[in-house]
Amino acid sequence: MGTQMKDVVIKPDAPNALILDKHADYIAAYGSKRDDYEYTLSEYLRMSGIYWGLTVMDLMSQLPRMNCEEITEFIKSCQHECGGISASIGHDPHLLYTLSAVQILTLYDNVQAVDVDKVVEYIKALQQEDGSFAGDKWGEIDTRFSFCAVATLALLGKLDAIDVNKAIEFVLSCMNFDGGFGCRPGSESHAGQIYCCTGFLSLTGQLHRVNADLLGWWLCERQLPSGGLNGRPEKLPDVCYSWWVLASLKIIGRIHWIDKAKLRAFILACQDEETGGFADRPGDMVDPFHTLFGVAGLSLLGEEQVKPVNPVLCMPEDVLRRIGLEPDLLN
Amino acid sequence: MGDHTHDPFMGDISDMIEQEFQLREAQKQRPLQEQERKSLRLEALICYRQTLIDLQTQMWKDEKKAQLRSANIAFQKQLLQLKRMHGRLKVKSTAQQEEEKRKEREKKLKLYVTARDVCFSKRKEGVFDEEALQLTQQLLSSNPDFSTLWNYRREILMHLETVREEDDVQKIYESELSFVERCLRQNPKSYGSWHHRGWVSARLPRPDWARELSLCDRCLSLDERNFHCWDYRRVVVRMSGVAVDQELRFTDRLIGSNFSNYSSWHYRSTLLPLLHPESPEPPSPTPQPAKASPPPSPQTNNHRVCEEQLLKEYELVQNAFFTDPNDQSAWFYYRWLLGRAEREEMISCVYVSREVERVAVCFSKPVHARAVGLMLVLDGQPQRVEWRSVHPRLRHSPVWVCDLPPSTISDIGNEHNLTVHWTEKHTRRDCALYSGRTQSWCRDSATDQELFRSELSVEKTSVLQSELQSCNQLQELEPLNKWCLLTIILLMRALDPLGYEKETLAHFQTLKEVDSMRSAYYSDLCSKFMIENTILKMEYAEVRVFSISDKKLSTLCHLDQLLLVTHINLSSNELERLPPQFCMLQCLEVLEADNNSIEDLEGVYQLPKLEEISLKNNKISKMEDLAPLASCPKLRRLDLRGNPVTQMANFLSDISELLPSVTELLL
Ligand SMILES: [Zn+2]
Repeated sequence: MGTQMKDVVIKPDAPNALILDKHADYIAAYGSKRDDYEYTLSEYLRMSGIYWGLTVMDLMSQLPRMNCEEITEFIKSCQHECGGISASIGHDPHLLYTLSAVQILTLYDNVQAVDVDKVVEYIKALQQEDGSFAGDKWGEIDTRFSFCAVATLALLGKLDAIDVNKAIEFVLSCMNFDGGFGCRPGSESHAGQIYCCTGFLSLTGQLHRVNADLLGWWLCERQLPSGGLNGRPEKLPDVCYSWWVLASLKIIGRIHWIDKAKLRAFILACQDEETGGFADRPGDMVDPFHTLFGVAGLSLLGEEQVKPVNPVLCMPEDVLRRIGLEPDLLN
Repeated sequence: MGDHTHDPFMGDISDMIEQEFQLREAQKQRPLQEQERKSLRLEALICYRQTLIDLQTQMWKDEKKAQLRSANIAFQKQLLQLKRMHGRLKVKSTAQQEEEKRKEREKKLKLYVTARDVCFSKRKEGVFDEEALQLTQQLLSSNPDFSTLWNYRREILMHLETVREEDDVQKIYESELSFVERCLRQNPKSYGSWHHRGWVSARLPRPDWARELSLCDRCLSLDERNFHCWDYRRVVVRMSGVAVDQELRFTDRLIGSNFSNYSSWHYRSTLLPLLHPESPEPPSPTPQPAKASPPPSPQTNNHRVCEEQLLKEYELVQNAFFTDPNDQSAWFYYRWLLGRAEREEMISCVYVSREVERVAVCFSKPVHARAVGLMLVLDGQPQRVEWRSVHPRLRHSPVWVCDLPPSTISDIGNEHNLTVHWTEKHTRRDCALYSGRTQSWCRDSATDQELFRSELSVEKTSVLQSELQSCNQLQELEPLNKWCLLTIILLMRALDPLGYEKETLAHFQTLKEVDSMRSAYYSDLCSKFMIENTILKMEYAEVRVFSISDKKLSTLCHLDQLLLVTHINLSSNELERLPPQFCMLQCLEVLEADNNSIEDLEGVYQLPKLEEISLKNNKISKMEDLAPLASCPKLRRLDLRGNPVTQMANFLSDISELLPSVTELLL
């Protein structure tokens, strides 16, 4: 008897070597499929899509292949009167895409391309009475948005613009019985949310308030026999969850609690040797989102062919060094 | 998952176990003692378990899973038509199929782009009409994550509110709810659809929360782990004042029909402290209306569960893990139940040294001393001192130090009285330095014994004992079950950490073998427990010597508890570093850490009394690794035999330049 574990089986002929050239070609070509139906459907998250693509290119030292001027112009045209930035032209501004835009401009060392003071005002206005952040003026509350707010402000060197203490109290009120965090107070723990909350507490210097041993246990129990990590108990493994879990473990100083070699093998097996790029699981369709988190995960695991990645902001360490940002990590 | 009521095996599991128990109880034909009741229950559980095995549960479970899986695949296929990033299987196709697909996509693209552009331009012109509602509906049906379109719909609806009669508005919003329900059916995990549903429900002139609750019931019966729906349920419960105990019964029902349901266990952990708080405050059966300050979290100090309820929960969890010992949900919940409350916030120790003219303060949790209002009063006079963390890398630390102005306390003939105030918490600690004494301390010794133990009261030791007994029974049936082994270790620690030390170590060894992926976790946890045991032994012996050699230590923790230690022996372990926290050992004079794998000495930093260090057979390989030692003013003996660094050219001259105070150097 016993619960049958949800997991995948890695086939013996699955890729086991990193094919960086193919990944770079895949990302470089991705933006040229603009007349594609699927590409058009994903317009609502275009700004994040560009961030995923550029970051993985930078981690592979291939950033110059992307069109800096065109992208910068695009971002400028996505900033709205209120200061917020939207995913694409014609869409409404949102904290998710404001962070992506500022991350992109930081990669290009050009945050001044947008009106920074207005960005700060926009974020400040979204903080609520209880310290939480709405994603936009329509009022959806989520700890993801708390992370977006402080990450954007930290990149801009303007963390003091908001009520940091209240923001911290809200995030801590989302801590659960298992040491993890959810979207809102009372919400179930979820690896993506845990990443946002530990990242938030790192940027605000409050990591000592995490129950690192308890949370670390929950996180390392995400590793399945295939080596991949899932995002919640009894779920399938996924390359993007491998990143959220791994980065969270790194932030709380417990990355050695998982089997790194097995995770590496799982991530490598999610590559598509024909097209380049990474999928969520071996044999599925690739996309830029999982390609970034595959490469970034390998970087955290010590892969030397790619640049070291920062676990809190998912950006190359050399970029953050340049702007003098060094988020806390527990040791 | 699925509809369990038609499944002959999948009735209420809790009920079946209860029947088994009652059968046994009836045979006794007399009232039962508590202890007897427990052992009967355990018997019933084991019997029930056996029945399950005999019924070849695996077979029907597999069948059930297969059915679910095929239903799931069909569902996934539907979703393939949508733009989704997860679980899209790569399918090879012929050139002809490709071409057909391409044409079809082109057609769809054209329709989509046209509709989108019409929406955008109407919105730009400020048009809020029915046609716009229709168009956005079409687009959102295939792409519910297009959040700007939901925004546009909300603008239209708000506009209609101003121009229509209330009954009309009610109807419009009701049809909006039907539309959202269709979207949720297609994509039950879209953030945008759920948020919109909440927005509409709150705006409805005559809200129908009962309908919303039943929508949640239906949605959760399709996928009991959908966290969007759980979150929406919590909103509905709050808005409509559903009683907490009613929600608890809801989780009883879900857990009763399927123990493997992490979301339900999670929900319980938030409900129980509300319904059965540990503190004597009266329980509030209905939730408070939405308020500005965030609600309590089950992790925080005063939101534990009262003991009586705790005992009932133990039974429920036991049912779960006897039914399916490999299901992690119940074990995670059980560990929370066994957990202890946080320590009381206080100053746990004040130490003063006449010779170094320094005061060290230890708190029960990490703080930032300059931010919490820390005040030092010496002989009635508040002192202007600068508090600093023991290591610059520790911004929040349980140990803080300050230097007194020169010659304030240096005359050995004088007596001094110190008080440290933690103004933020309205607490303080006094410490007297008598004449003729070179140092003094005052600390909280009452908590030492209970520091690492479970917070269950002593009277309930019998309860933990019987929990341990049932876990041991289960372990006999499933000797390699890691969840059970780990829980046994935790129970043993709660009962008698020193008495069970040998068994604990043996269980950790088994754990590392049966769950090798997490062996580093078990090593660190075992190290923590061994350090706790050594601290307990030190407390009992009332000495300032901490010795823990040959225990496979892979990490150091609880170093704040070692503030007063003068001699430490960490030899023959598996340590790779002495971390920044190591400099909490402010009284340390002798450090022995031979035969480890240490390559990092960051924490051997500004230790004012440290005189001797022995680091034989470690992995110190670079001169800069030794740099922190230069900040220890009294260091005179250093043993580095068996470290790669000693083989470096110019080592001798480099080291005497770095550490001029060292007179005895062993290489
Ligand atoms: Zn994924």
